[in-house]
Amino acid sequence: MIKVNMDLLNIAYEKYKLKNGLEVILHHSPSLPLVSVNIWYRVGSANEKKGKTGIAHLFEHMMFQGSKNVPKELHFRYIQEAGGTLNGSTSFDRTNYFEKVPSNFLELALWLESDRMGFLLPALTQEKLTNQIGVVSNERLERYDNQPYGLAWEILSSNLYPDGHPYSWPTIGFMDDIKSYTLDDVSSFFKKYYSPSNAALVIAGDFQKEKIKDLVAKYFEDIPSQNSSSGESESSLNIINNKFEKNILIERDENVQLERIYLAWHSDKIYGQHDNSFDVLSDILTGSKSSRLTKHLVYDTEMAQDVSAYQFSGKYAGHYMIIATAKPGTKLNKLKEEILNEIENIGKNGVSEKELVKSKNLIKSSFIYSMQNLDVLADQLNHYNFYLNEPNSFNYDLKRYEEVTNESVKNLISSFLTRPFVELQIKPVNKK
Amino acid sequence: MDKTLNRAIKPDALGDMKFELPEIERFRLGNNLSVLFVKKENLPILRFTLLTESGSKFDADSQKGLANLFARVLDEGAGKYDAAGLSDEFDILGSNFNIGCLNDNIQITLQTLKENLDRSLEILGIILSQPHLDEKSFEREKRKVLTSIQQLKNSPEDIADITFDRVVFGNGNPYAYPVIGYTADVNGISVQNIRDYYKQKFTPDNSTLIVVGDSNRLELETVLNNYLAGWTHSYQKTELKYQKPQENFSIYLIHKEGAVQSEIRVGHLSEKRNEAHFFAKHLLNMILGGQFTSRINLNLREDKGYTYGAFSRFNYLKDSAQFLLSTSVSSENTGKAVTEILKELKEIRKGVKEEELEFAKSSTIRRYPGNFETYSQVAANLISLVVHSLPDNYFDTYIDSLNKVSVKEVNEAAIENFHPEKLSVLVVGDKDHILRQLKELNSGKVIELDIWGKKISS
Repeated sequence: MIKVNMDLLNIAYEKYKLKNGLEVILHHSPSLPLVSVNIWYRVGSANEKKGKTGIAHLFEHMMFQGSKNVPKELHFRYIQEAGGTLNGSTSFDRTNYFEKVPSNFLELALWLESDRMGFLLPALTQEKLTNQIGVVSNERLERYDNQPYGLAWEILSSNLYPDGHPYSWPTIGFMDDIKSYTLDDVSSFFKKYYSPSNAALVIAGDFQKEKIKDLVAKYFEDIPSQNSSSGESESSLNIINNKFEKNILIERDENVQLERIYLAWHSDKIYGQHDNSFDVLSDILTGSKSSRLTKHLVYDTEMAQDVSAYQFSGKYAGHYMIIATAKPGTKLNKLKEEILNEIENIGKNGVSEKELVKSKNLIKSSFIYSMQNLDVLADQLNHYNFYLNEPNSFNYDLKRYEEVTNESVKNLISSFLTRPFVELQIKPVNKK
Repeated sequence: MDKTLNRAIKPDALGDMKFELPEIERFRLGNNLSVLFVKKENLPILRFTLLTESGSKFDADSQKGLANLFARVLDEGAGKYDAAGLSDEFDILGSNFNIGCLNDNIQITLQTLKENLDRSLEILGIILSQPHLDEKSFEREKRKVLTSIQQLKNSPEDIADITFDRVVFGNGNPYAYPVIGYTADVNGISVQNIRDYYKQKFTPDNSTLIVVGDSNRLELETVLNNYLAGWTHSYQKTELKYQKPQENFSIYLIHKEGAVQSEIRVGHLSEKRNEAHFFAKHLLNMILGGQFTSRINLNLREDKGYTYGAFSRFNYLKDSAQFLLSTSVSSENTGKAVTEILKELKEIRKGVKEEELEFAKSSTIRRYPGNFETYSQVAANLISLVVHSLPDNYFDTYIDSLNKVSVKEVNEAAIENFHPEKLSVLVVGDKDHILRQLKELNSGKVIELDIWGKKISS
């Protein structure tokens, strides 16, 4: 096993709450003259409703359109002028905003983040909304509709999760929904979810320790807390465990060259007791040239051009996917059979100690490698705070991988992967 | 602290920044491999990047795809290990190993924990000096590559990128062809070609090893000489000829049935990287299309909402360069988007504003320390130093060189480097929706190409 000193993953921090409910997490690390500011709002596409999808993500775009004291386009411009980098992203469970600036520009980042947290609405206009609906529609076209196999995820999730489930629609949203939003939708979304009490602010890197709390108070303390949501999805949560009883097969003809098969099972939520074993199983199945499915399908038999397996896990549910692209001449049903055989084999005979050690060592070293980047570190502190209510969970997280055993991997097969699954087959459109 | 906050006032910077640039150490190993080393010790990591000038530009006429195929076979077995065995050896150490092929070079990246430095380098040494390059692995990788080429046909982005190089560099230019190659060419490559390529081009005296991490020169020199000594053969030079194509304003269309967007590429040849003009060109491009608040992105995205993003760059290769502007827009806005792009290119030749230049300088200069944050960023900086043969004091003089650039120089750079009459416009999209829009832009003249860039006679 790798012996590296795990104190490297013990990240010192201080966490406290402002009177308006904003959580603040400080991690001081002056090794480079940089500081990361990272905010998570506890809202994602899981908080949307059917017929009103994509608003969490569209809203993220609106947060870059200026606020009361920041004219349109200047949010980006001010951070860039300071030599900083910035972005935001939306997932099922949360929306994040982050910038990394030279440490002497920390106050600028706090000013910008606090202005849009507290004073976005006075600057909202129809013109900005129309413009960003155009941008997001194009984002959807570029990243999904115009990509080979680009719609696979939304087809799978809409079949895997029951109608109305918070994970049953894609984060980007459906085109008709995206185009339907009005200023009222946007401002009610803000009032409901963008209260300081629904957010956590991480500041990581090089800052003046004795002044940082005053600085945070200066910009964030006077932002009023709104009568905000609990952060929980309003979609009926009792349907989450409503699993399907029979395999579901979806067949589609698309503009692709090679046939591809997707198999998806319900699995475990993030940090659930099986979540870690699924990640290790992915390494064992498709993580390297010698992994089982890669070696068998891509190397030895050349039935597949590629194969990958991974565990998606969120706050409300998780699913496990295996995806294989067929070489010309291979039938998808043959690929499916081979994949299911290997799963059955692991269920019966388990995995080897060597396979477990390889996966654990790769995971362990990836934890160390990930410490290189302050943005990644700041985001991870917020991630752990959100899901585990403890920002410094790096060692805890790593430990749960070290605890994976042959038994815990074998158990996945009987508990999850022998249950019904969704199968998506995508084949080239028949040319006349 | 003063608690009465006036939010209308943008806060100022708090003092000046101190930043020390890393020191570069150079040495040469017994096998003639030159090494550039930068010490970085905040984590117990070492990152190695081996650059061998043996990229696809050396692919002969009927052998496009040779360098890439060689790179793919290189780690498919070496010494006593087969392909899976090699990958196991790295995995068990928690090391990341990767080989990639570009136009100019083949890049091998190895990232390892310090505790596994010796063993990681030992395996690297085995791959470099004792690769099997066996028939079976070769045939398998060749089939995979052929299938990948087939898959490209449905990716409008890839088609646009690949074919634009062909259009801009022109037939016969070593940079005109896709790294992955063409089906007929790859089909014709033999395992002997791969073995010859290894002997002639993949050599230590044609390579530079970039090391970033927790070590010191003495330790590195010892371990590297120890594990890489078996890699010894020497380089056989090939002279490349770079013809310049005739450049006239042209609009090219590649039909992609059912596409809901159009991939747009606009550009022309450019001078290869030259330090005298590099900084003015960099700032000029920042203003035009090099970042989010550039003229082009603000126009096409933030004003018109035509696209998710539009960006431009000078794409510097070792022996040539291209100016390239790229975006993708919905079909109905294709003609309008191209019109706006052409307008911006004409407009910037009339000059930039002082405040635009100040912004570009401020952004680039203040961001500079952040470019040395991660091990891979430091390595990337050293890669450009090696590829473009920059002086070792390049990083030390970088900020001064940028600061010195005047509006006048940027305006001259705009006149010298943007040539509206030489532009190629390439659009990959659904002909039924966009042909008429494109014809309107150029008195009816649109040249139709197949996906690999061959003219379709209509």
